[in-house]
Amino acid sequence: MLKRSIIPVLAFALLASAGCSPNTGGNTEDSLENVSELTIYSGRSEAFIAPFFAEFEAESGIKLNIRYGDSAELAAQILEEGSNSPADLFLSQDAGALGAVAEANLLIELPGDLTSTLPARFLSPTDQWVGITGRARVFAYNPEQVSQLPKSFQDFTRSEYKGRFGIAPTNSSFQAFITALRDNIGEVKAERWLRGIVANSPRYYEKNSMIVEAIDKGDIDLGLTNHYYIFEVAKALGRDISVKDGFFAQGDLGNMINVSGAGVLASSKKASAANSLISFLLRRDTQEKFVANTKEYSLLEGVAGPEGLPDLEQIGAPTVDLDALKDLKWTQDLLIKVGLL
Amino acid sequence: MPSLDIAAESRIEAAPMKKTSLLHRGSLALTALLLALAGIPFFYLFQRASGASGSEISALLFREKTLSIFFNTFSLIFLVSLGAVLIGAGFATLLYAVKITRSALFLLLATLPLAIPSYVFTYSWIAIFPWFRGIWAAALVLTFSTMPYIFLATYAALRRVDLVQIEVARSLGFNRLEVFTKIVLPQIRGAIGASLLLVILYVLSDFGAVSLLGVDTFTRTIQNLYKASFDRQSAAILGLILMFIAATIILIEERVHKKNIASNSSVRVQSSASLITKPMAKLASLSLIVIYSFLALALPAYVLTTRMIANFQEIDYPALASATFNTLLVSTFGAIIAIAFALPLSWTIIATRSRFALFTEKVVLITHALPGVVLGLSLVAFGSKISWLYQSVGLLSFAYALLFLAKAVGNTRASMEKIPPILKEVSLTLGVSPLSTFRKITLPLAAPGIWVGFLLVLLTAMKELPATLMLRPTGFETLAVEIWSASTLSQFNQAAPYAFTLIALAAIPTFILSRPDRIQQESNHVEKERWRE
Amino acid sequence: MTSLEVTDLSVTIGSTPILKNLSITLGAGSFTAILGPSGCGKTTLLRTIAGLIPPSAGTIRFGKQLVSVSSLVLPPHKRKIGYVPQEGGLFPHLSVGENIGFALNKSDLTKDQRRIIVAEMLELIGLTKFIDRSPHELSGGQQTRVALARALAIEPKIVLLDEPFSALDAQLRNELREEVSLLLKRRATTAIMVTHDREEALVSADIVALMRDGEIVQYGSPAEVYLQPLTAEVAISTGDALLLPATRGKNGILHPLHAQYSKTRSSQEKSEQGSIVIRPEEIKISMKKESSAIASLITRLDYYGHDAMVELNLEKSDFLGAIRVRIPGPVHCSVGDRVFISHVGPIRFFPE
Repeated sequence: MLKRSIIPVLAFALLASAGCSPNTGGNTEDSLENVSELTIYSGRSEAFIAPFFAEFEAESGIKLNIRYGDSAELAAQILEEGSNSPADLFLSQDAGALGAVAEANLLIELPGDLTSTLPARFLSPTDQWVGITGRARVFAYNPEQVSQLPKSFQDFTRSEYKGRFGIAPTNSSFQAFITALRDNIGEVKAERWLRGIVANSPRYYEKNSMIVEAIDKGDIDLGLTNHYYIFEVAKALGRDISVKDGFFAQGDLGNMINVSGAGVLASSKKASAANSLISFLLRRDTQEKFVANTKEYSLLEGVAGPEGLPDLEQIGAPTVDLDALKDLKWTQDLLIKVGLL
Repeated sequence: MPSLDIAAESRIEAAPMKKTSLLHRGSLALTALLLALAGIPFFYLFQRASGASGSEISALLFREKTLSIFFNTFSLIFLVSLGAVLIGAGFATLLYAVKITRSALFLLLATLPLAIPSYVFTYSWIAIFPWFRGIWAAALVLTFSTMPYIFLATYAALRRVDLVQIEVARSLGFNRLEVFTKIVLPQIRGAIGASLLLVILYVLSDFGAVSLLGVDTFTRTIQNLYKASFDRQSAAILGLILMFIAATIILIEERVHKKNIASNSSVRVQSSASLITKPMAKLASLSLIVIYSFLALALPAYVLTTRMIANFQEIDYPALASATFNTLLVSTFGAIIAIAFALPLSWTIIATRSRFALFTEKVVLITHALPGVVLGLSLVAFGSKISWLYQSVGLLSFAYALLFLAKAVGNTRASMEKIPPILKEVSLTLGVSPLSTFRKITLPLAAPGIWVGFLLVLLTAMKELPATLMLRPTGFETLAVEIWSASTLSQFNQAAPYAFTLIALAAIPTFILSRPDRIQQESNHVEKERWRE
Repeated sequence: MTSLEVTDLSVTIGSTPILKNLSITLGAGSFTAILGPSGCGKTTLLRTIAGLIPPSAGTIRFGKQLVSVSSLVLPPHKRKIGYVPQEGGLFPHLSVGENIGFALNKSDLTKDQRRIIVAEMLELIGLTKFIDRSPHELSGGQQTRVALARALAIEPKIVLLDEPFSALDAQLRNELREEVSLLLKRRATTAIMVTHDREEALVSADIVALMRDGEIVQYGSPAEVYLQPLTAEVAISTGDALLLPATRGKNGILHPLHAQYSKTRSSQEKSEQGSIVIRPEEIKISMKKESSAIASLITRLDYYGHDAMVELNLEKSDFLGAIRVRIPGPVHCSVGDRVFISHVGPIRFFPE
């Protein structure tokens, strides 16, 4: 009698103990040969990154347990997990999430052979994370509707664009931009700009891709987004879309380059294997595939940009301290203050 | 049995009555365990919020945005409550009033929206109507997806209304409307109220629809704050406010509920009495239901089907199969755990009426209103300290159980309360231990309600996303996660097969739920028993 | 066969005392009826004996076994009691056979032994072919019988019957109560039945205990309690009774049916006021004037067939109240007739 009523409880306990918790191996040997599995928290979506992971698995014989999620939510999760995190490697959509995890001392310092492959501006100043791919901020627009292209991000506060453009204020790429803005032009001007944007009646979207879709459908004419979304949406829709990427004037902050990047968890006992994955992702042939498949920029010098877009050096990107992007507190407060959060 | 002499009086002393039974102690222990576990999210929220300074809190709360969050949240609650009650109770009454032979079909049509996750609903609507945004859109979607709760509860309550009363009222010269408002409505008000509470709590916790439709409610704001900041403090403060709102609503409902007269006539008299008899009125009533199901069901079905056909070659069958299996596995375990806690909790409430048990029930209700992300993160903070538990199927199932326990407790408790106490007493006096009595009398007689609770948790757990994202084992993808990972509108083609499978899967428990005749057959006997007393 | 001894039992529910220092001893194998109006605490007594209600004081003993002493109580499932509640309380989800065999599963009986016991019990109550029926397919009387069989199947020390026949119609009730008391006698089971029906109590039980306001006011054989009531109230509760004012003095007991009542009443000195109880069947009615008979006028007549109830007004008497008399059929008088009545039987005087 007793047995029956406690079966569910027992089942729960059994299940839990049989659960797929990744850190049960207790593998303390930090050498490549002994590592058979790695746990990745990937803020990059499966559709784009999975082929690269598969290639690494085939090459290295290491099985990857991949947890896909939103970069910021995964960062929040890692912060909650603290030193108990089962993750070995954190792959993020943007530098801010990596910076926040690094600041909590949850990432190790990466070896010099990894950090030396990249220009310093795409690295954590403490070498706790490296950029993997570059993503340019752009304005996406419908060439048939927009004759007068904006020269600067500042132009979006002008009345000629009133009600015609979309932003994704809850998206980390937009927030990273605001953070960079503060870092470069100061709090007062950044706030003034954001208030100007809000006053200019933008349409708000949950995701960047929705902005591109909305332009394609004719709901809006322009939008602040990342450069690769036009390719993503066209591919998903299986047709050409009437949306183009536009760059602002040389050196304009609107052209900033953010990176997707990776860091190795301090709690990981498989750091060298995790490093080997980063090294794989930064290899020239892998990088070329990124450019070809995901239409992102390679951060390595001398790799061409995605088809139809200028090379990374020709964008006229401003100098932005990517490490400053981790400080989202002010940005968040500002977004809260102007009512975007 | 050893005889108990005066000399052995101390032996009775060693086992004083009432609180001695294993069932009693076990139930209390499990209820206490539940309270402790259900307390985790609240403990977490307090802990995270406690670091905030007064100025930070006031900066967060005293701004225009707060006003609009309150406004949005309460407008949504109001609109959805109104819509769900009008449609849900309306349809139940129509089906009750119109005697038709194929009522099972209409029952299913009215219940089936339960199987569709609110985010799939929303995507489908946006796909067809790009202008579909804002609070009215969110109210519409949430009304559609919550209406079946009201419908099912009202229909079940209507079935208990003694038709003889209606005939008597008609013979006394009341017209049909008067019969409804004076005789029927008072008897179903309690059922509507209880299910409405669940609807409101659900609206408080919904993220999918409001985020896609751009309505800043508490839950959406909390989720966005988590995304935007890594210190999690502001989100926790709003989480606490949400908690207090939920608690207030629960207390209000309790007040109102006490005033409602529960129908104690439980014998269903077979009668040909029918409130709506005119063929035109009949037709109109039924076409209302058909129009509704077209909007609620046919539209998403159309969008999903066309998207799926467009993407037919690319379906990843192994991934689909494993996601389906995972979804079934973890939601089933979640439902089992929910019932495993609902039973001792209900038992303790009924047997002791103690504040402790009633408080636990309220905590469970409030938990239902918490955004999945709050529960998810709190279990991350707690679970990651226990490596064998963390990111296991067990912990995820437990999260489902905690999030949706409210759905199980109500039904379990109600069906256990319907059992005449004398049956348990007879069993005890016959020498059957309390635990065996529970197993042989209470469980089988409460089975219909327990089963409904199980199905509701199962159904809701299948569709859950935010907690799943955080708590699932790494690499363990469910249907909801797969839909999420391809969730931009343009990628909806890839999500369509998963969405389709999820709906098909969720339609099974929904189908069973839509057949109250089957489920209630047994409970009618119990009620008859009680009535004769 | 177990005796039952209840000593100084008190039960308080909420703050209301329900049973007050109640004591009663029942012999092994006896069938006792607890008779009392609703609300007197008789069901509470039964449920306390069953262990379903904890007493606040007192002891309960089954034979030598102490099952309850002050607030220390043996739980109900360890008492081996057969409880038959009102309406039977059959388990609706189990068949008749499963109901009867319900408590047999846990004991060390084999399946076959269990089947045999169930079959025996079904035969005992004459419902053998109903073994697979559901309770709701049975009539009220059948349900009561199944409930009894279920109680007897565990060979209980004591059977407790709570108004077992109250929901049945009159004829079925008579049949069934005979059947039940026979059944209990045959198995020599100690049994207690709670009832508010005095006829039921007198007919079925060996011992009738009269209960009022949480106390046992009298108990004894049916004849004892009927013929020698300790109080007027007891007399009324065990049967129809005529309560007449009376005085007791040196001239003996004077009452309205006494021939000298009106003449000597005022002269009775040092008299003690009180009342007498007369059973209706103790009054003789005659159409002819007899010595010591009192002339009366019939004011009402209720005809029942086998007998009739006559209401009379005494002529030339200080007593103006109506006197109700049961007369056996055939009845030869009618309303308005003048008859003569006299009392034959014991005088039961209860001082005020």
